[in-house]
Amino acid sequence: MEANIAHVERALAIFFGIVVFFVAAIALRNDWKSEGIENQVFKLMLGLLALGAILGILAALGVLIGKGVA
Amino acid sequence: MAVATIAQQPDQLYVETRELRIQGFLLFMVSDLVLFSSFIFAYLYLRNSGQGWPAGGPKLDIALAAVNSIVLFGSGATMHFALENWKHGNFSKFANWIVMTIILGAGFLTGQVLEYVHIGAKWSDGIFGASFYTLTGMHGLHVFAGIIYLTVLLLQALQGKYTFTKYTGLTLGTLYWHFVDVIWVVLFSIFYLL
Repeated sequence: MEANIAHVERALAIFFGIVVFFVAAIALRNDWKSEGIENQVFKLMLGLLALGAILGILAALGVLIGKGVA
Repeated sequence: MAVATIAQQPDQLYVETRELRIQGFLLFMVSDLVLFSSFIFAYLYLRNSGQGWPAGGPKLDIALAAVNSIVLFGSGATMHFALENWKHGNFSKFANWIVMTIILGAGFLTGQVLEYVHIGAKWSDGIFGASFYTLTGMHGLHVFAGIIYLTVLLLQALQGKYTFTKYTGLTLGTLYWHFVDVIWVVLFSIFYLL
């Protein structure tokens, strides 16, 4: 039962991780030429959001797993 | 002439104060970043000083953490959509996306509570327990504050406090929510991926 739940969680994380990655990447591309201090911070944060999505996908795939993680 | 000047004054004042308000808010975020960095570096130092890691510590649930992280990152995307729709003058879509952000934020907090129940560790269970609960708890508190913040922004928008050309408060709320997302990228990495 727990294994099934974990599989579902992993599948959801991978699917929505891909969605979030593309949304962040497209938003970053659209905002790339925008000016103003807040937009520079937005760009940085969208980039890190895309990175976070990749990390989430890799963790769900079991590629990146730290010590002490089940 | 004098009437025209007075009519223009709020716009001028808005432009003049907008940059200052954003800069002030960014300074607040930097101070928050310093707070998180202190705890993160303390955790990493203690972790690398110990013999073996984690010494009989709890087992974290990577699948739950991964899906929970994506929920929070997804809320960053929905908040971005909310602000973009406001910029384009679409109030109903703005309201829908900000409500979705609040729901996802609440979902993330629920996931955190599940994680706390799942690992079964205590705050007093050594370096790991203390660091894990302090950092994730502090982050959770920021998410909770963010949910209240976004709710207030939504209510203010409903009351007509912002216009489609003057919306600094909404920009700052979006910055705050992205900040909370980005902090979780770091916390997720150090607790689950290292």
